[in-house]
Amino acid sequence: MKWSSAVLVLSAFAALIFSGARGRAQPAAASHATDFTNVEYYAQPNQTQMKSRLTGAEAQPLAGELLIIKHLKLEMFSTNGHPQAVVEAPECVYDMRNNTANSAGHLQLQSGDGKIRAEGDGFLWRQDDSFLTISNHVHTVIETGPEVNIGL
Amino acid sequence: MKTFCLIALMAVTAGAAARAQSSTITAPQPLRATDIYADSMVFDGNGHTVTYHRNVRVIAPDMKLTCALLVADLPPSGGHVSRIVAETNVVIDFLDGKGQTNHATSDKAIYDYNMQGTLTNETVTLTGHASVTNAQGSWIKGEPITWDRVNNRVSAPNEQMSIKQNTSSVMGSTNSPAPKTNKPVAPKLF
Repeated sequence: MKWSSAVLVLSAFAALIFSGARGRAQPAAASHATDFTNVEYYAQPNQTQMKSRLTGAEAQPLAGELLIIKHLKLEMFSTNGHPQAVVEAPECVYDMRNNTANSAGHLQLQSGDGKIRAEGDGFLWRQDDSFLTISNHVHTVIETGPEVNIGL
Repeated sequence: MKTFCLIALMAVTAGAAARAQSSTITAPQPLRATDIYADSMVFDGNGHTVTYHRNVRVIAPDMKLTCALLVADLPPSGGHVSRIVAETNVVIDFLDGKGQTNHATSDKAIYDYNMQGTLTNETVTLTGHASVTNAQGSWIKGEPITWDRVNNRVSAPNEQMSIKQNTSSVMGSTNSPAPKTNKPVAPKLF
């Protein structure tokens, strides 16, 4: 899946941030934006359906087309629009060139129906192939009904 | 089905059946929770799989499993997990219907769940040095050992068994003579 020209919606500072980052190696902490959103859509015939949405409360540019995103929230959707998973992290580095997000910090993941929750420390999210790696201390909780068994 | 199938794990699955039956006639029970711990995890959003690596521990109310690698196939639309594969040094401790712990080991364990029409198929298949030992020390080995969770049967082609008598129950029994027969008396394994 290609991240097309993923829609980057930044608030008023957005244009300045990106032009600065690309054109003149904007130093860190030069400026920041709020309400960062990056959306990916499915390919045809589901091109109107959102595949994932990455949002952040704040985005601060770094050199090399990197952004520090605060209060990351990554939502993944199925082709019928139902939420598949929600990932949240206090902070991450978003690589606009390679469409990846990573952090050494904590991460929480929850399935769309809330019955599966996972958390761990350190992660890498590859948007192009929808791979999420949690590197350390993984703990998953699966809730099932009393008569339901996941097996084994 | 061989002898083992008739006696082994009937109590195990009877307990599960009892739980299922009771759940239909009693008030709603709290949700069961299964915990999975691992060093690392990979979620494949396109392939709909979750892979756990290194020091994998699965802890459920009636079962504990450890292995080095565990891969779960997630149905795209949610619902029941269709397939779980545990690999490398698989150790499963599970409770039978009497609340006794049984011990299973293998190189690989595969859980399969699918529905064909109204029929539900749910199996656990142990392969690679597979064995199941009950609390009394009786064991079965075979390749593979298949646990049919729907029909409550465990089977293994070319199985090897070791049955240990419960000597305490024999000592504590009455003085009635043992039946004269050439057939060995098979105690309940599980």
